[in-house]
Amino acid sequence: MNKSSPVLLVEDNELNRDMLTRRLNRAGLTVIAAVDGEQALKLMAEHAPSVVLMDMNLPVKDGWTACREARDNEQLRHIPIIALTAHAMEADRIHALEAGCDDFATKPIDFPELLAKIEKLARA
Amino acid sequence: MSSIPHQSTALWSDALLRTLIELRQLFTQLESSLDETAREDFSKLFEGANRLERSLESSAHSSHDQLTDKTSRHDLMNVLAAIRGYAEMLQEDVSPDQPDLGDSLTRLLMTIQTADAGGESSARVRSTAISSDPGFILAVDDRQENRELVARYLSRSGHLVVTAATGEEALKTLEQADVDVVLLDLVMPGMDGREVLRRIKEHEDWRATPVIVISGHQDMEDIIECIEAGADDYLFKPFNPVLLQARIKAGIERKRWHDREELYRHQLERNEKFIRATFGRYLSDEIVTDILERPEGLELGGDLREVTIMMSDIRGFTTLSEHLAPDQVVKMLNRYLGTMTDIIMAHHGTIDEFLGDAILAVFGAPLEREDDAGRAVRCAQAMQAAMADINAENRAEGLPEVQTGIALNTGSVIAGNIGSERRSKYGFVGHPMNVTSRIEDHCAGGEILLSDSTLQKLDGLYAVTDRRSLKVKGINQAVVVHRLVEVEL
Repeated sequence: MNKSSPVLLVEDNELNRDMLTRRLNRAGLTVIAAVDGEQALKLMAEHAPSVVLMDMNLPVKDGWTACREARDNEQLRHIPIIALTAHAMEADRIHALEAGCDDFATKPIDFPELLAKIEKLARA
Repeated sequence: MSSIPHQSTALWSDALLRTLIELRQLFTQLESSLDETAREDFSKLFEGANRLERSLESSAHSSHDQLTDKTSRHDLMNVLAAIRGYAEMLQEDVSPDQPDLGDSLTRLLMTIQTADAGGESSARVRSTAISSDPGFILAVDDRQENRELVARYLSRSGHLVVTAATGEEALKTLEQADVDVVLLDLVMPGMDGREVLRRIKEHEDWRATPVIVISGHQDMEDIIECIEAGADDYLFKPFNPVLLQARIKAGIERKRWHDREELYRHQLERNEKFIRATFGRYLSDEIVTDILERPEGLELGGDLREVTIMMSDIRGFTTLSEHLAPDQVVKMLNRYLGTMTDIIMAHHGTIDEFLGDAILAVFGAPLEREDDAGRAVRCAQAMQAAMADINAENRAEGLPEVQTGIALNTGSVIAGNIGSERRSKYGFVGHPMNVTSRIEDHCAGGEILLSDSTLQKLDGLYAVTDRRSLKVKGINQAVVVHRLVEVEL
């Protein structure tokens, strides 16, 4: 995995953002964080992260909109996005894939599985 | 949203808060031995715990409108996800050095799993699936926090929980109370779980009480050994509360089955005693056993049966007894009735009653046989034949000789338990009974008189003579009787 390019974590819930950041750091990844969809797009453009982990229920601009906009943007289109969707919300996962996400992880997050997904997408 | 998921929220949230309190206590004790990262992770985890408490509190007071519900569920999910994340991280980091903390974290994670499952639609199914009869549960564990945890889980679902900290204490509780299920920790100082299990299964009254053993480590061999020693089920620590509930439920059901079976057995035994007491004096063992094997047992009421009725009495006994001392009367009577009873039973007759020196017996009830009339006749012949011995004994003791007359009649009577619930007896009612008594009035000493209806039932070699028609009160038609003649076969 390219250790120099960071993982972008987009999550409005402070507790979870904090926890996931710590865990990802612990796994040897550099993490930058955004709290809404607008900020996410801005950081994607600035830092070219290797993978984006995107919560879908976001303020200002939600995850689906941000995802679609990234797909329409020549510069951001190639950055893989993993949608973080709520447990048992089947419809959300389908939505996420339709919006152009590359993969999804359901909350509560199975962390080893998430790491494997990050690694796979970052390598591709 | 119905109230059912709320109830289940209460179930897991309580367990969750309890595990968090436990974890916090442990952390306070061990804080100094942890590195800085772990301490930070813990403080973040407890921050989540505080948030969780607030969020649960507000959801308990919130109105039930859908939007609030959805938002608070979303909040709750996020908080749980965070706590879970920290717990997983910490478990990886501290478990090797701090097994107690590791255990406590595992317990926390298990509870969160239940919360995740319980927070979704499956809550309804789950909460109904584990509801069971309230039971009396004995939880045996040397660690106080475990005892409290179990007591809390189980009393929430209506069980009565008593705890014991040692094996000795557990046995004492078993002596004093009727326990439905024993939850038994295997590893304890002093008398350990295996020994407690052994003693429970050796004890006659406790043997049927289901024992669920709890093992601290995932050691299957340990569990197999316990199951071979009589344990009914097992759980590994830290256990999932839903699983615990399910096993407790199964245990209680097992115990209830056993209790019902035991009750039924007691009733059967009582019935058997009653039947033996009711019939034993009048019937042969063989017939009593036959009756006991009939499932309908002994109910008040009866059925119409064709039977051969025998009535006998000693000629002139009343006059005779006036000249004898009371103890002589009783002695003579007992000798006579004793001998007659043996003969009647040997011929499978049912003695209905003794009326002074008179005997009323019936052939063909409660069990009907093909040769009822024939046996009655042979019985009467045997009784007359026995008189010689009885009189020889009477003579030897200076008592007078006696003679008996026997009447036989065949007809349909109602046979059954007649009386009240408190006092009933297997007896017979019907006109043929009275007819027999009238025939008996015409018997001379040493005679056997049988009615035409009995004669028609006989096959084989019998000789009769002295055909007579008797007028019997209550029926217009005369009763035809015959005197039986002794025939050398």
